[in-house]
Amino acid sequence: MFENYIKVALRNLIRGKLYSFINITGLAIGISCFMLIFLFIQDELRFDRFHSKADRIYRVVQKLDHTEGQGENSSSNPFPVAQALKTDYPHLIEETVRFFNFQVPSFSLQYGDARFNEKRLFYADSSLWKVFDFPLSVGDPATALAQPNSIVLTQEMAKKYFGDDNPIGKVVRFEGAVDLKVTGVFAALPTQSHIVFDGLISFATVYGQTGPNFGKSWIWNPCWTYALLKEGVDPSELESQFPAFVNKHYPDFIKPQMTHYLQPLIDIHLKSKLDYEIQPNNNESDIYIFAAIGIFILIIACINFMNLATARSAGRAREVGMRKVLGAERNQLIRQFFGESLFMSFIAVLVSMILVALALPVFNNLSQKQLSLDFLANPLIFAVLILVGIIVGFLAGVYPALYLSSFEAISVMKGRIKFSGRSGTLRKGLVTLQFAISLALIIGTMIIYNQLSYLRNVDLGFTKEQVVIVPAKPPIAGRYETLRNEWMQNNSVINVATMNEIVGAHHNTHEYNYEGMEAGKWIYFPSLIVSETFVETFNMQIIAGRNFSKDFPRDDSLAVIINETMVSHLGWESPEKAIGKRMYTPTGDERVIGVVKNFNFVSLHDPIGPFLLDMPLSNQRPFWIKYIAVRIAPKDFRETIAHIENKWNTVVPEYPFEFFFLDEDLNKLYKSQDNLGKLVGYFAALAVIVACLGLFALASFTAEQRTKEIGIRKVLGASVGGIVGLLSKEFLKLVLLSNAIAWPVIYYVMDSWLNGFAYRTSISLMSFVLAALMGLAIAFLTVSFQAIRAAVANPAKSLKYE
Amino acid sequence: MIKLNGIEKYYSSGFVKTYVLRGISCEIKEGEFVSIMGPSGSGKSTLLHILGMLDEPTNGEYYFLDQAVHKISEKQKTEIHKQYIGFVFQSYHLIDELTVYENIETPLLYKKINSSERKGMVADILDRFNIVGKKDLFPNQLSGGQQQLVGIARAVITNPKIILADEPTGNLNSAQGEEIMDMFKKLNKDGTTIIQVTHSEKNAAYGSRIINLLDGWIKEEGKN
Ligand SMILES: Nc1ncnc2c1ncn2[C@@H]1O[C@H](COP(=O)(O)OP(=O)(O)O)[C@@H](O)[C@H]1O
Ligand SMILES: [Mg+2]
Repeated sequence: MFENYIKVALRNLIRGKLYSFINITGLAIGISCFMLIFLFIQDELRFDRFHSKADRIYRVVQKLDHTEGQGENSSSNPFPVAQALKTDYPHLIEETVRFFNFQVPSFSLQYGDARFNEKRLFYADSSLWKVFDFPLSVGDPATALAQPNSIVLTQEMAKKYFGDDNPIGKVVRFEGAVDLKVTGVFAALPTQSHIVFDGLISFATVYGQTGPNFGKSWIWNPCWTYALLKEGVDPSELESQFPAFVNKHYPDFIKPQMTHYLQPLIDIHLKSKLDYEIQPNNNESDIYIFAAIGIFILIIACINFMNLATARSAGRAREVGMRKVLGAERNQLIRQFFGESLFMSFIAVLVSMILVALALPVFNNLSQKQLSLDFLANPLIFAVLILVGIIVGFLAGVYPALYLSSFEAISVMKGRIKFSGRSGTLRKGLVTLQFAISLALIIGTMIIYNQLSYLRNVDLGFTKEQVVIVPAKPPIAGRYETLRNEWMQNNSVINVATMNEIVGAHHNTHEYNYEGMEAGKWIYFPSLIVSETFVETFNMQIIAGRNFSKDFPRDDSLAVIINETMVSHLGWESPEKAIGKRMYTPTGDERVIGVVKNFNFVSLHDPIGPFLLDMPLSNQRPFWIKYIAVRIAPKDFRETIAHIENKWNTVVPEYPFEFFFLDEDLNKLYKSQDNLGKLVGYFAALAVIVACLGLFALASFTAEQRTKEIGIRKVLGASVGGIVGLLSKEFLKLVLLSNAIAWPVIYYVMDSWLNGFAYRTSISLMSFVLAALMGLAIAFLTVSFQAIRAAVANPAKSLKYE
Repeated sequence: MIKLNGIEKYYSSGFVKTYVLRGISCEIKEGEFVSIMGPSGSGKSTLLHILGMLDEPTNGEYYFLDQAVHKISEKQKTEIHKQYIGFVFQSYHLIDELTVYENIETPLLYKKINSSERKGMVADILDRFNIVGKKDLFPNQLSGGQQQLVGIARAVITNPKIILADEPTGNLNSAQGEEIMDMFKKLNKDGTTIIQVTHSEKNAAYGSRIINLLDGWIKEEGKN
């Protein structure tokens, strides 16, 4: 029996070549999209799970309340937190480990002639391998990070510096001053980690660089701290101890604002959006968006299958009736049709495996992942493919199976099947649904792109174009003026300023005591520590008071500039009235000397809050000069940069020169939106293709079914145009209807997506109209191809058959 | 074998009833060869469908081998149908996707007869009908007469007690028609009851009895 079904299925497949091709192609594209998205989501959900103790590892994070100030939600902690937790709660905590990088953009590393700035080096405690599982290919986890001046490198780094030589025992020069011995090499590291590094340096090295008193502060909080809880310990048990912990260790003034809490390691990648993350995390909501798209494309492909099968049912009704007369029971026929659709769907699964394998390199490039179709390493793929094959086969087969098997033998013998209007209506409904989904995806893509271009072009309140950022090093502070003067020699260098973080992307918060506040208390405001030329370099505007100036040599300890929002935040009536107000810091009795026009000091996801610009105390400058911003003239910028590099190499020969453009760096803030836009765009295009395949086949069946009618109409004098219109009209109506369904739904979805941005475009009618026109045009082309073929056919031929 | 008592069949559209069959009462004995004749639209096919349990009368009683068909369930009808009745159609109704061999084999599949037995039965029938050479061809590779032979072969392979044939020679030329009628005659001799619908006096002459239908009434019954 089964053999018989397979035979019929195969012969049907070969007979209806166009039909089979469209069915299998559509399904295969749908399944491929689904699989790519599955692999993507699986990868996202796997983050940090390769550590065998992942379920017991938590990141200790810190919240500085912002009832009054701006506070922060810090992913990192003060230095002593890790050890204090371990000492205080030995019954709850098995081990802790810290990562630290001075919050600098890069460290320099040198071996012989190989000299590079490395962006992903961290200091890490020797307890690393008691908590995490980062695998070593050479080296002993017990000792690799135990001694000061040790470094463990990744394979790529070892290759980069030592080529094929054995890296173990080699000595590299770190930051031009410290010699580090290579004590280990990592094996290939899983990419699914929220901590990505090129090398780890033993934490004890820090004290050799800075002196033994370093790292005792409970204020500065640069250490990413992870705790491995004892087996069976509930994290809330530890969290309930945190108020007492804060009370015991933190300085009095900060206690009321400080809270600690724990983040499960495995939640960080998708859920954590704190300040100072090691690298930007992804959005959980993107996962849902992708999952929805994957399922929708699969639905579109299934709909094709169902539609084509029912459209062809007229041709198969005879077979069904005949089988019934010969004694087939209905459930035997149902089984036959399910068998056929399962057969088709598994062919599609096979084809999709090829498609996925071909598409993966491109998709990996787009999504910046290293996904693979490795069944051995990832047996779940196999299970999902089988499951998808079964579900798709079942979904796609259920309607034909029930519908076709319901034909009565008698109607076949009477020579005519009356197609109930129901199947036609259902078919139209499904086509409408397909197009609605496709249109929604097109509109969604356009709105995402509109928003991205808006984000790129919105006026940030400072100039981001033609600004070169040169990461600096502490020892440069003493030579900064020389460097600046050398650079300014060139007419194309317009201005130069320093800052402690990249304006528009990052900043820290610092303690202030504003006028009207109780003396001795401090609250935290976000601020940038900059040189006196900062405001001019970035074309910012002082709207009251004055700018920092060399003419006021004590500006470093006596002056701050605040933004407009700070004025209103502190209830100071006007910018003019704010001038001269107190804004003390622990190191100086500072006063407001000027008010700067609001600028976006964080990404456009967030509104502008209160903000300060402050200058570093002259004796602390090495610590605060982390970036030098150079604004250059647009023309001949390559030569200008060559000039900047030359002068750097003469003034600061011990550090390699590096630079990047500010606008490019700021665009990275929207990287995840950018990726989302690209991926949604590609999937939308595929969805449209699959939907059109279905429409094409359906149109060809309609044309076929109406061959006789068309023949008669032509004999009666209908024109080709008239017939094309007749055949196309019906489908175009469906496309219009699908617009009516897609518009409100996607409007609602995109409106809530846009609401995630403090700065958002309005949704323009344009995207909707464009998508509708596109949909109509594509549908018309698809349908009219068939319609024209039917219309120009010789009527004598088609009529002879009946 | 078959007993009809006051069979009526009408279609109602709105308030208008269109009678197709009225007051049909008759008996057909085992081993008979009956021809149903009458003008187009007189209800011949409808009667045959009712006899074959593919259609239901609106009123009246139908006994098949002393079973009250008008009272039994759909499932039982399918069983009786499968076991006792073979159908032959004017337009053959072979399954286009299957070969001659597979077409003939299909009813056996639905009777769940095992593979080796099936092979034997199909081989036997192919032989009896002289179409062994055609067994791997598809229906569209055969002439009309050959297709109808396959249709009959398919109908008799399950050894039905009765064969119902609706204008079996309607699409055939006279030589082909004769061949088919000879086949029926032979089957009838071997004990199979045959009821055929036909327009041709010549074909009717192969049978033992004629039922004439006119506007749904039995006009007259004649014996040959
Ligand atoms: N579903 C139906 N609805 C209404 N009338 C029908 C239906 N099926 C058949 N008829 C009518 O029943 C009559 C008898 O049909 P049929 O038994 O096929 O006649 P015959 O085979 O003698 O030519 C015809 O007039 C036909 O129009
Ligand atoms: Mg008839």
